[in-house]
Amino acid sequence: MQPVTLFVNGSAREVVVEPLQTLLAVLRDHLGLTGTKEGCGTGYCGACTVLIDGQPVNACLFPAVDADRRDVTTIEGLADDAGMLHPVQSAFIERFGLQCGYCTPGMILSAASLLAENPQPSDEQARSALAGNICRCTGYQTIIAAVHEAARLLREQGRAGEAPGKRAPIRGRA
Amino acid sequence: MSALRVVGKQRPRLDAAAKVLGQTHYTADVALDGALEGVVKRSPHAFARVVRVDVTRAASLPGVRAIAHAGNTPAQPLDFGIKDQHLFPRPYARYAGEPVAAVAADTVAQARAAADAIEVEYEILEPVLDARRALEASAPLVHPDWKQYTKLPTRVLRGNVCGHNRIRRGDVETAFARPDVVVHASEFCFSPGLPGYIEPRAAAARREPDGGLTVWCGSQSPYENRDELATFFGLERERVRFINQFVGGAFGGKIIMAAEWYAAALALQCDRPVRMAWTRHEDGLHAFPRHGGYASFKSAATADGTLVAMRAEFVYDTGAYIGYGTGTSQISTMLASAPYRIPNLDLEATLVYTNKHVAGPVRAPGGPQANYAKELHLDELAAILGVDALEFRLHNAWEDGDQSPSGQTLSGVRVKEALRAAADAIGWGTPARPGEGRGIGCTWWFSACGESKARLEVRADGSILLASGNPEVGTGASSTALPMMAAEVLGVDPARITVVLSDTATDTYDAGVGGSASTFSAGTAVAAAAKDVHAKLLTLAEDALEARADDIELRDGRALVRGSPDHAVALAELARKAGGAVSGEGEAAEIDDPEFDESLTETHGFASWLAPSYTASAAHVDVDPDTGAVTVRKIATAQDVGYAVNPTGAIGQIEGGAVMGVGWALTEALQFDERGHVRPDLKDYLMPTAVDAPEIATILIESSPGAGPYGLKGVGEPPITTPPAAIAGAIRAAVGAAPHETPMTPERVWRAARDR
Repeated sequence: MQPVTLFVNGSAREVVVEPLQTLLAVLRDHLGLTGTKEGCGTGYCGACTVLIDGQPVNACLFPAVDADRRDVTTIEGLADDAGMLHPVQSAFIERFGLQCGYCTPGMILSAASLLAENPQPSDEQARSALAGNICRCTGYQTIIAAVHEAARLLREQGRAGEAPGKRAPIRGRA
Repeated sequence: MSALRVVGKQRPRLDAAAKVLGQTHYTADVALDGALEGVVKRSPHAFARVVRVDVTRAASLPGVRAIAHAGNTPAQPLDFGIKDQHLFPRPYARYAGEPVAAVAADTVAQARAAADAIEVEYEILEPVLDARRALEASAPLVHPDWKQYTKLPTRVLRGNVCGHNRIRRGDVETAFARPDVVVHASEFCFSPGLPGYIEPRAAAARREPDGGLTVWCGSQSPYENRDELATFFGLERERVRFINQFVGGAFGGKIIMAAEWYAAALALQCDRPVRMAWTRHEDGLHAFPRHGGYASFKSAATADGTLVAMRAEFVYDTGAYIGYGTGTSQISTMLASAPYRIPNLDLEATLVYTNKHVAGPVRAPGGPQANYAKELHLDELAAILGVDALEFRLHNAWEDGDQSPSGQTLSGVRVKEALRAAADAIGWGTPARPGEGRGIGCTWWFSACGESKARLEVRADGSILLASGNPEVGTGASSTALPMMAAEVLGVDPARITVVLSDTATDTYDAGVGGSASTFSAGTAVAAAAKDVHAKLLTLAEDALEARADDIELRDGRALVRGSPDHAVALAELARKAGGAVSGEGEAAEIDDPEFDESLTETHGFASWLAPSYTASAAHVDVDPDTGAVTVRKIATAQDVGYAVNPTGAIGQIEGGAVMGVGWALTEALQFDERGHVRPDLKDYLMPTAVDAPEIATILIESSPGAGPYGLKGVGEPPITTPPAAIAGAIRAAVGAAPHETPMTPERVWRAARDR
């Protein structure tokens, strides 16, 4: 067992984990953050996507110990403190980019990460960035439309290229 | 009808905000204090007799609280029309993955360790792993005791044959022998496929102090499941409560109970709740796949492209138990010759047992299979005749007054409109570069209305509650279309309506999500409940406004006198006057299927269709001639939806169906090895990603009203049934031939092109 400190959605969370315990298990079972979903447990479907220091990872494969003292952004941390939706979230609503919703948290985080790096992706770039997130309901067309709409909203709000989620104010080793 | 304000308008889903925030609870997210973890132990053998199950050592391991197995659970068989299945083997385990026991322990690791420690002695038997093999006289019997089974009189059971139906009219042999016809024959093979929902099965159960049981689940049919489970365990139905959660996709794969059985069996032995969340792999070991199988087609047409005869024969692999397998074979014979006017028909489907997973009613059972085979077969016949694929279809397509294969007289037929619209949307007739192709396919499909109840309540605090037994599985029918329909009648913003998810404690029975019926059946009940509340509100408003009901309308959350909008009272105020709430109830009854000619059918059971709809898809593809790899550039689907109550939902079904169709056509195959072991993981079962998905064009045809509220027809299933046919036609157009086996992998496409 090993103590680790995760900066989850801007807050330091201390947990004691088993050596190979996944970040997904820690988020869901220790921290009660059930917005992150398990779809396949083998890194193929992307339902468990979270951001580590802004980069999307499959939380079902990622050892929690490797997230020690790093920023972890889950779907619960994307809206701002006042509860205002992130533009990617509102775009998914307005452009009908979801149905059952099970892939949605992971899909949104992958999209948010893409837009932080590429504020105006082409169709092809958007599809490629989301290729690790399987959606069985929508056929993806509305999801891609949502990504473009989110890009537009972010530009409109002067937030193009902004890193999604909240970062812990104090970084580095204690 | 006055102008509609809510229904028919494209709007975001009402459950979308919670979903993008990660706040939506699916079954595995339900928090239960003190819950034990349940796991299932499964047979590794495709076919075995279970000689002995010894749980002694397993039960003594740390943390183990209960073990359920054949020795301590009820002995009676499950009933799916043929009583061929037990909860645990008695004594046969008939597919690799069949549960032989279940364990509840304090942790998952302890439960798994105990499951491993259960000693099971098997007598390994020779399995049957192929549908045609199952029909051979020398094949082992999957159910050696089949003669002892009880079944519905309408069911066919003869050894490994567990279903058969036939539709015949005219005389195909005489027609095939005519000197003025061209005859073409084709053979097809279909791989089984997974429904592919992203949320694996999960369930939780808790024994209640009154002897009842509460089950948390993500089912398509919680009321039916509740009744079945209560009957099996000998519990009073009223004391068994199924609380359905949001469902992370279902596609027909969550109609039959799975994890619920084992969580319940364990919880009945425990003082603490038991939860069970299956991994993707376990879910695949217990999958209810789309049927694989075979089809043979033979058709005749005259030189001008007029179809005169067709024989089609399907043999479907339904796996170890009958489950809901029958629909696939019944629907296939209804689709095999449709929607074409063919005077001589002989259409037959046989369902066989094998030692594989129980094939289920996956979205549009039989639809992709029958349409792919039929349309590719007809494309080949049209090509022999030198007739354009679209012209050939338009020439033979049904018109009003034509009859279905079984003699149902058709009206409001929209085949030609659908064909033309889909073809136009992909640029039919545009000269193609080498390797580029366009194809088209069409079908008909049914609407269905099952029993459903709804309760609607306007409360004094301004809230409005809607309870329907119809689960929200992702389509948006329950979360959005139903409140839209209630809001239309009550004159309120649909966002004001809170939908109570399907929960048997509300006693609003619903037959469940299936047969594209949700908006039809639950919508009928909701519309009736809304009408009931509307009438009660008007009566209250008459007093409050001192006006006649005829002069009062409900609008913007108020009752107001027409022409003097300030003369109004809030609905909440009316509820207050009524003592706190105004509530109403509504229900839908099952609607019988239309008349047909029974003399044309044998043991069919689904030979005429309520409010049929017509759908065509066209595909535009590129095929790499060196590798056979297919890129689908565009799918266009034109669908006769009757009326789109919730257009966002209808378009969503069509777009999702198109891409699910791409997957079935090109990449998805549930693979079994020579021992009958399945490979259900997503590294082997390849569902389309955003990169694989084409551009999709949707055309809603709303000129032929159906029998549902506002004239709606069933929407969810047709859109997966035509894209594979269109893709096959497009591949054929691109390289001169298309594979007769799904999925149409690069290798198969390359071989088909080489051997053409």
